[in-house]
Amino acid sequence: MRKILPIFLCAVLLLSVAVSAAACNPDNVPTDELVVYNWADYIYDYKDDFYAYYKSLTGRNIKVTYVTFDTNETMLAKIMQGDAKVDVICPSEYAIQKLLEKDLLLPLNYFDEDKYVADMQADFAKYVHNGGNVDRNVLGKIDEAFGAVSVEGQDGTRKMSDYMVPYMYGTLGILYNKYAFIDSGIYDYGIMNKANWGILFNDDGDGNLLSNGLTGNILMKDSIRDSYAATLFYLKESGKLDGLTSTDESSSYYGKAYSELSVGEFINAVDDQLLSLCQQALTQQKEQLFGYEVDFGKDDLLKGNAMVDLAWSGDAMYAVEESWDDSLCAACSEERGERVYGEEQRDENGNKYYVCKHCQEECGDYELSYYVPHSAGNIWFDGWAIPKNTYNPEHLNAIKIFINFLNSPRVAAENMMEIGYSSAVDPEAVRQDADARATLSRVYLVDCDYWDKKDENGNDVAEFDYGSWEEFEEYFFDSRDVMDNSNWRYPFVLSDDETRALETLGVMRDFGVNNKAVVTMWNYARSTGENALPLLGWTALVLVVAAGIIVLCEYIKRLRNSKIKIAPAASGGESPDKSDE
Amino acid sequence: MTKLKFRFSRKAFAYPYMIFLLLFVVVPLVIVLINAFLGDDGKLTFANFAEFFSDKGGGLTVLGNSLIIGFVTTLICLVIGYPCAYFLAKYHASNKVLVLLFILPMWVNFLIRTLSTKAIFMALDVKLGMGTVMFGMVYNYLPYMILPLHTTLVSIDHSYIEAAEDLGADRFTVLWKTVLPLSVPGIVSGITMTFIPAISTFAISEILSSSKIFLFGDAINMHFSKTTNSFGVGSVMSLVMLFMVIIANVLVSLTEKKEEVKSSL
Ligand SMILES: [Zn+2]
Ligand SMILES: [Zn+2]
Repeated sequence: MRKILPIFLCAVLLLSVAVSAAACNPDNVPTDELVVYNWADYIYDYKDDFYAYYKSLTGRNIKVTYVTFDTNETMLAKIMQGDAKVDVICPSEYAIQKLLEKDLLLPLNYFDEDKYVADMQADFAKYVHNGGNVDRNVLGKIDEAFGAVSVEGQDGTRKMSDYMVPYMYGTLGILYNKYAFIDSGIYDYGIMNKANWGILFNDDGDGNLLSNGLTGNILMKDSIRDSYAATLFYLKESGKLDGLTSTDESSSYYGKAYSELSVGEFINAVDDQLLSLCQQALTQQKEQLFGYEVDFGKDDLLKGNAMVDLAWSGDAMYAVEESWDDSLCAACSEERGERVYGEEQRDENGNKYYVCKHCQEECGDYELSYYVPHSAGNIWFDGWAIPKNTYNPEHLNAIKIFINFLNSPRVAAENMMEIGYSSAVDPEAVRQDADARATLSRVYLVDCDYWDKKDENGNDVAEFDYGSWEEFEEYFFDSRDVMDNSNWRYPFVLSDDETRALETLGVMRDFGVNNKAVVTMWNYARSTGENALPLLGWTALVLVVAAGIIVLCEYIKRLRNSKIKIAPAASGGESPDKSDE
Repeated sequence: MTKLKFRFSRKAFAYPYMIFLLLFVVVPLVIVLINAFLGDDGKLTFANFAEFFSDKGGGLTVLGNSLIIGFVTTLICLVIGYPCAYFLAKYHASNKVLVLLFILPMWVNFLIRTLSTKAIFMALDVKLGMGTVMFGMVYNYLPYMILPLHTTLVSIDHSYIEAAEDLGADRFTVLWKTVLPLSVPGIVSGITMTFIPAISTFAISEILSSSKIFLFGDAINMHFSKTTNSFGVGSVMSLVMLFMVIIANVLVSLTEKKEEVKSSL
């Protein structure tokens, strides 16, 4: 038996290899390859769709190897060393800038070519990357932020948009528990828009505490870049930079007052003066903090451990959607300035629902909300790029088709649903595309096949989040938050709106030579503020008290011993009896 | 002549471990040592030492805080742990379950233990901060204090105590003049086993203060992360840590030698 088992296992192994080989190539069609290097969880389940798409265009099979990274820095290190054999990458804009400066990217400027090519299989080179679908606002913003990029060892300058195809973008803002804000009396348009980024520092905009309730309930992102941006904005708003001018001699705005810089310039300003002010603000902020978070503070916010968190829009959107509470009455809570819960009711099928006793309406609201301060904010973009030194030239067509695939409106809709951030594909293109609408409908169960279907008891087969496509469309594309008057998902949609000018959103570039200074500042801010000296003081006090008590006890004991010295004679008489026994 | 022949001695069994030590202890240490003297430009420099000892990145402040927290943790562990170990040793023969009870928490993964502690604090509405971190530290390191103490106390020859009692010492004097001096090796190794991990920990402070309290371990951890990318200063801090470990070990061996001299007399 013992000898048969290994043979049997070998046979099974061989068989499975043969089967899998056959499965890979069932119809003898040539197979192309593609290696994608992307953030983890940053794409929908694209495989079947992409394989079908690829085959329809080329008549060939494709094998995608999907590798992930967790920080831009990991990705940068791998690409710069050139030891990762990857064809296409999807980092943040500042990392793309870094790679471009080192002359490590292949141009990707297909946006101006014709949208349709008659015979795609014959001429891939002319094949256009759904360029028409990419939101021009996004491309414009990227080029505005990075300007002319000079490349190492090359003459002239380059445009960022020629080297990246934008994928997803989002803003940096404040995720907060709306009902905790209502309880604290700060859920108010005037108060919040005066405090702006001061909310993270519990500053009402005048240097006073915004609310006692916020103390010890603020979460800060454990991320240098995001925290630095938020702190800079706070310094400017709170007037701590009034009258100060830039001391950065290498910048074009040296000597200019900080208040005169555009948001795009200001968010990238680093100099000793700003660093020391930032450090001060961050150290002071510690008294107000619940702590620093690495993932995102959704759980802490929902559990009530914290009220405020610095967050990206996609994480925030996800957290907000998760925070639905059937029993909260939004209108009455806001009006009365405290949480108003409805009373539990049951419909004829036994399903729970809540009705408010004040307004008699059915209840339900999102407990969390997201706020992008009016004064200034940060917008970021992730995009696809081809690293010159690691891509396989034989895979170039597959790379182009992959990027093209990602820019089709339906895939953009799928990705938005899966990831939560905004796709760089023009919202109008998504809104008009029948497949994209079907995708969104399926996810939110609007207007789908189940619409009128009932089970044998006469109940709806599926529960609908929205009554109709129009209702959903309004929510998805046009919903504007009452507090910051902005569209979380599509900040560009409101670009012509007077309350949220695009100029208030800046793109952050790489810190460059200043990186070390910022890191040192952040380390210092994280290290100081919470001092252990009081602990030492308390310990010393306890030790002194304990020593005092021992000495006192000893003293009393001796005192008693000397007093009853005559007495032992009585007890001394008993002990010999005992020893006799 | 026989030396030329390969002899399969018992020593050979030690080679795999020697190779392991070389690869995963000696080589990394050398890398840390080299990194400590390397600047951003890859040249030899003392800038990393200057940056750490000038407290530019707050490293020295953190070290101070860590030493204080480590000291207080060790003190509390000793004050709680000694009586525990004493009574455990006293009732050791009759009740082994008691000893088990003290070791049992060590069998649960320490991250799970610490996360549960946080959950309990949150449920009780206790604000996370220095107090909760101290609790977590003592809770986690108490067994490391009790075990060496217990081992020493159990091994004390009972006839010493009986002799002391026969000579008329009361219970306190027996404890003070006989048991305590005999258990000094246990105390020293208990202190080092508590103090060294306590100053280098990072998970406990991170979890039980939501990363608000930043200890030496946190700081080293941060310097080696990809985004901060300051391996040089991180290496200097690791060397400082290593230096303290060596000092602790020297102290332990010094007390052990004294004991040997005593027992040989
Ligand atoms: Zn209601
Ligand atoms: Zn109501």
